[in-house]
Amino acid sequence: MKTKNLNLKIIVFIVLLLLSLAYLLPIYLMVANSLKSIQQITTGNYLFPPSPPVFSNYIEVLFGSNRFRSEMMPRLLNSVIISFTVTALCAFFGGLGGFYLARTKTTFVRILFVLVGIALYLPYQAVIIPIVIIMAKTKLALSYWGLILAYLILNVPLASVLMGTFFLSIPRELEEAAKVDGASRVQTFFRIITPISLPAYASVAIIIFTQVWNEFFMALSLASPKTQTVQVVMAEAKGTTLVLYNLQMASALIAVSVPLIFFLFLGRYFIRGILAGALKG
Amino acid sequence: MFFERFQRSKRDRLSLTDILVFVVPLLFFLIILYSTLAWTVYVSFTDWKTIAPNYVFTGPKWYESIFHQHRFWIDVQNNLKWLILGVVPTVTLAIFLAYLLELSPFPAVESYTRTLILYPVAMSFIVTGTIWSWMYEPTRGVFNTILQGAGFEGLRFATNPNTATYWLILIFIWQYLGFSVIITQSSFRTAELQEMIEAATVDGASKLRILFSVIIPNIRSGLLILISLLLISSLKVFDIIYIVTFGGPGLSTDVLAFNMWISSFQQHLISQGAALGVIIFALAFIIIIPYTIYALRRWFE
Repeated sequence: MKTKNLNLKIIVFIVLLLLSLAYLLPIYLMVANSLKSIQQITTGNYLFPPSPPVFSNYIEVLFGSNRFRSEMMPRLLNSVIISFTVTALCAFFGGLGGFYLARTKTTFVRILFVLVGIALYLPYQAVIIPIVIIMAKTKLALSYWGLILAYLILNVPLASVLMGTFFLSIPRELEEAAKVDGASRVQTFFRIITPISLPAYASVAIIIFTQVWNEFFMALSLASPKTQTVQVVMAEAKGTTLVLYNLQMASALIAVSVPLIFFLFLGRYFIRGILAGALKG
Repeated sequence: MFFERFQRSKRDRLSLTDILVFVVPLLFFLIILYSTLAWTVYVSFTDWKTIAPNYVFTGPKWYESIFHQHRFWIDVQNNLKWLILGVVPTVTLAIFLAYLLELSPFPAVESYTRTLILYPVAMSFIVTGTIWSWMYEPTRGVFNTILQGAGFEGLRFATNPNTATYWLILIFIWQYLGFSVIITQSSFRTAELQEMIEAATVDGASKLRILFSVIIPNIRSGLLILISLLLISSLKVFDIIYIVTFGGPGLSTDVLAFNMWISSFQQHLISQGAALGVIIFALAFIIIIPYTIYALRRWFE
């Protein structure tokens, strides 16, 4: 028995070591190389730590320079505006739709659920052409509303199912009690269901936010110069400034910082959101 | 009995305000979504091949053209590689790791590992792809520095047309491993399964035996979900290819989703792009049928 436990410990240790290497190396490379000067990049080894660290890279990446024209600051703002708006609206509409899906059991809801289920994992390629046409025709593509609406269309079904899985776990007795007291369905939802579902809203918001922040296909196809997101400008920077590895890594770090901070501080909600997405909530 | 049913249906009935608040918003977005899908299908049957719109119905001309293109069959091959190699190793590793975490004798290991392998979920493929393409870089990239330092010959990674797709798939596996472990782990944690494991342990079954004869057969629904999600993600893969190889070298890493984007937005063969979009949707539809049936049953049970 003892030797078995020892074997297990050795296996766990080796696996842990390999995993740490595989998952810390990319992060390390991103941070270390984002702090190097271009001389250190071209002459040194990518694996070595920066000496001395060059913090001005971040300023250059945020505000641009002669050699780096893909400045991040305006794009960061674009991403923040688009992602937060979509997240807030998705959580709101998703809560309403999810409550309906979770609490009504008619044939119509079953059909609706299947339609939502297909929409959840719909490849964007199947809808992108009409969306681009609509947004170009209505000139919405020139403002934030183009991308915001596009993301709403694709993410409200997801938010509804995620919120719905949480509502399914709330006992019905609560609403029955409210109904006896004469509250309407809408009142019950906003006064009783919503306050106790705030953790669920947090989980859904964090999932939607990450998804929208990291989305690339739609952002690439719909972005006008003024509404470019961080992901799109990063892809552009990689294409045009191949040698400026340090600046690329600095912009990568800035691009991931927002969702990564959410992940580190709100990891619990993150995991709950992922599990709800797998219908395990 | 009848009276009870009548009561229930009356309770379920929504007032006009209820419908406006709860049903209309979701329905509104769904209607737009399915209209755009129908619109794509229609465009795929027209002959729209410049920037100027052309909505004259011309039949399945573009599908025939696509099926005769060499490029399409390269895409299909590559997509198959993605579907198999993006999913099978990920699921296998996830089961192994999730089990190891359950068995782990050190309590702190679990939370550390979770954070360690889950953080890529917060990152975009664009960022991951950028980092990995510098690790793959043949002359001075990290992997070749390490390989050559250890006395081996360097590899060409994503610049070798024969192997490029596999190296791209590795990034995908890396990105989705933590996500898969979380889902697998949660399917371990049902009371029934824990009881079965306990009973098997008392009977003296080895840990590996428990994994293969007790755990895996009993987490089928969890695996169905995980496999469906991974299949869909690997079918839709676009970002990794765009950022690391842009479909190259040549067409060696091209997939349907990438071809669709090039056709629609670079070559302006809108009908061909639409047809490819419809093909991708059809494949995705096949993948999600079992998932949707399962979800429907669970939801309305």
